[in-house]
Amino acid sequence: MISEKKPGKISRYGMSVDIDKCTGCGACMIACAVENNVPPAQEGATDLTGLTWMRVFKVDNGQEYPAKQSVYFPMMCQHCGLETPCYLVCPQQAVDVDPATGIVGQIPGRCLGCRYCMAACPYHARYFNWWDPKWPAGMEKTLNPNVAPRMRGVVEKCNFCHGRWHAAVQRAAEAGLKEIQPGDYVPACVEACPAGAIQFGDLNDPSSAPSKAAKDPQSFRLLVKLGTEPKVYYHSRREWARRIGDPSQAPDGKETSHG
Amino acid sequence: MQNTRRNLLKFIGGAAAGAVFTPVPWRLITDTALWSENWPGIPRPLRGEVTARYTNCSLCPAGCAVRARCVGGQPVSLAGVAGHPLSRGGLCAFGVAGHHLPYHPARLTQGRVEAAAGALSKAVANCNVEGSRKQLAANLDASKAALMAACNPGESVAVLDLRPGRTASWTYRRAMGAVHNGLYLTAGGPFSGAAANPLAEKARKSWLAGESACPTEAQALAQQRGTDAFVCEPTRGSDRHHDGVSSGPGGVASGGVAVDLTKPRTVLSLGAPVLDGWGTPGNVLAARANFRLIQAEALESRTASLADLWLRIRPGSGSTLALGLAALLDAHIAQAVTVADAAAATGLTEQQIKDLAAELTSHGPALVLPGYDCPEAWALNQLTGAWGETVVARQEAPVPEHWKNCAPVTDLAAVPDGAIRTLIIDESAPGDYVPWNAIRRKLVADNPVVITFGWTPDGYGRHSLFVLPTAVYPETLEDIPAAIDSPAAVFRMAVPLVAAPPGVVNPADFVARAVGIDASNALRERADAIRKAGHGVLFSSADGTSRPAAQVPPDDFWKALLEGACWMDTEGRRSAPPAIDMTGPEARPSEDARLPLVAVLAETALATVPPSPLMTKLHQESNLRLGRSRAALHPETARSCGSAEGGRAVLETSLGRCEILVVVDSSVPPGVVQVAAAPEAIDICGAFARCRVAFL
Repeated sequence: MISEKKPGKISRYGMSVDIDKCTGCGACMIACAVENNVPPAQEGATDLTGLTWMRVFKVDNGQEYPAKQSVYFPMMCQHCGLETPCYLVCPQQAVDVDPATGIVGQIPGRCLGCRYCMAACPYHARYFNWWDPKWPAGMEKTLNPNVAPRMRGVVEKCNFCHGRWHAAVQRAAEAGLKEIQPGDYVPACVEACPAGAIQFGDLNDPSSAPSKAAKDPQSFRLLVKLGTEPKVYYHSRREWARRIGDPSQAPDGKETSHG
Repeated sequence: MQNTRRNLLKFIGGAAAGAVFTPVPWRLITDTALWSENWPGIPRPLRGEVTARYTNCSLCPAGCAVRARCVGGQPVSLAGVAGHPLSRGGLCAFGVAGHHLPYHPARLTQGRVEAAAGALSKAVANCNVEGSRKQLAANLDASKAALMAACNPGESVAVLDLRPGRTASWTYRRAMGAVHNGLYLTAGGPFSGAAANPLAEKARKSWLAGESACPTEAQALAQQRGTDAFVCEPTRGSDRHHDGVSSGPGGVASGGVAVDLTKPRTVLSLGAPVLDGWGTPGNVLAARANFRLIQAEALESRTASLADLWLRIRPGSGSTLALGLAALLDAHIAQAVTVADAAAATGLTEQQIKDLAAELTSHGPALVLPGYDCPEAWALNQLTGAWGETVVARQEAPVPEHWKNCAPVTDLAAVPDGAIRTLIIDESAPGDYVPWNAIRRKLVADNPVVITFGWTPDGYGRHSLFVLPTAVYPETLEDIPAAIDSPAAVFRMAVPLVAAPPGVVNPADFVARAVGIDASNALRERADAIRKAGHGVLFSSADGTSRPAAQVPPDDFWKALLEGACWMDTEGRRSAPPAIDMTGPEARPSEDARLPLVAVLAETALATVPPSPLMTKLHQESNLRLGRSRAALHPETARSCGSAEGGRAVLETSLGRCEILVVVDSSVPPGVVQVAAAPEAIDICGAFARCRVAFL
């Protein structure tokens, strides 16, 4: 469902990830799970059935030592800005594209668990709750009150820590401001990254890091040929890494195809 | 139309069929889904006032500054403190979820006593004392009695401190100084984590020889092995037993050896996980752009894959590479290992080793960092000119004068076998895990008493007569020793964010009371001594400001520390460590046809404590890290062992066996088993060991 247009500033939040800086430490994955009340794995959960809104993959250039090179790819919902596949296929209008922020959200209360959205997502960035959410005894005290835990049988995914956006808007309103300032709203993974590899900002703001990344010839987006206009930009000085992320990239780093 | 029964049924049937094509059923389903959101099984987060509190993470010596977001006083998320001069806003994955540890399923909530006293056998029976304070008190009394038990001549009471340098460490030293035959033992120092390696032990003994309780042990061991390896320079002080701050291992200031990452242009890491939790992660990553990183390692670790140059060497050959480089860097030293030997052992070419040596000298200042299995790399720094420049001796934060009459620091490896009657192990703060066999041989043969303080029973608790539960971060109030990449002394504390459960004991306080000294206010005394010294600055995490410590009133100084502030000494107060020689044979796993594979430890960060349950995101719900009890094998190796992905197998070395879950990973070299570090794995593998894998 596309929400009604809200008054105030229209933002288009996006992210830039410098994969040359990422060390694959996993702090972003843990910070994401902490912030969004994602439970620990149940016994029997695997990498196919687990819940990792943010997941870091190790990717190499396919060569053998000593030519082998590897990078770490933090992957999350790419927040498609055009023809959002999951939004298009959801029979329950449980996918929300917020026109005020550009954030693709998921409404678990509406979700039927049909998983059409998972099938449609070209980035495999959606996860299904196969189990009731359970935390070790006492650990539920550490849950974030700004995010409701989800029930078994629904799909969930990264929403750029939308709860933080709401909190930032509320703080701004309490301070008598009409808009939040850059830096007031930062997703948990960005805050947690010790390498500073993940940057966040408004793509409509030319001074934001993602806006600058969007113009960098060494930046690329994943599967850009599908034409879904993802709002997450990756950056690498290694051409092989750029080509893995976006095979349509020309050697000079320019995108050649937009589907 | 006539109103007949048949027509009524037709109408009802038609309406029911037509309803399927209306929004009604979908609406019903939606409402059902909404209702299920409030299913009683779904936990409801706490509500309350949102506040920010500051502390320092005590899960490792990095001591990263932490900003905790609390709701109703309960921490719900942790983040780094941007602008902190040491941690620079960084917090690792373990630290981000540190607030979960008090609720860890493996948390020890009750005292545990082995049923067959003195047997130290595998059969450990729980003496359930939860909820029974009388029983717990009885156990504590029994432990105290054991601590004070009269030892036979030549037998000792000892405290093994896995994280030396804390205020608690000084309490242990004071307590052991007050006990007849008391020993204060450490396993770390500059050769941290090396106890499993005979050569490493020699290196450490050399370093510590001037202070060892048994100073001839190192020489005896060297003679026994037919070498004069690691002879100490005569720069070690001999009066260090009672001179407090200046009394560190081998004459090194007791703050230990540190590296200054702002200086080197070339860093050669012989297996150190430089980019994976080593030092202070935020500081390392901030300095990363300034140096070229060369990683010599057998496995494609995170650091290896991100280094500027990865030299794939054979497992356990880091020592030999260091010695080969030494032969190139100083031709005047008669080396036991030539460049050709090093090339043969490591799998590198002679030219590669020569190029490496040339780069260390031509693109300096250089820094050589040892890995888990290569402590002698420290000595290589002398030859590159890094000694005193990129490698420095760090002063320890000041301590009260009356603490300095205490037991000396003794290396565990320097204690004669069979000499310890009662051993207390402080495992409450994660530190270097010494394989149990290295400890066991130091105990008397008949009825030794081992008391472990820990928050989980997973470590030395498996081998102890008494296991006493302690508080865990972030329940504890404790200071954190300086990290290896902190050239200046620091003092910061982990302050309690949540209350510790009833029944837990403070290990240092327990030991102090047992011997009749008062250490209940030790942290405040230490803070006052630092303030009184009048140097250094105090950084406040709350407002991001620094001010000279001398300008802060003592009460405010203490109050600031309780609010997560960090005291840092001035940079000028540092010196070069004493020189050490490096000659010796390589320490590679010996060939054994029965054990055809080589086990190499991986994921050594926080190997001794179970991390937050959320870490399943990294090793079970993804393949980012190797989880506990898991071992990665090359597909060919796995096939030859008859195991497959996800299969259960037994890893066997000459020291024992443990069960593993097999992960097939083509990046692991054939013939190598990459074992996730955990107490049970370290007990049988050390840094590396010959092994075999049998499929279950």
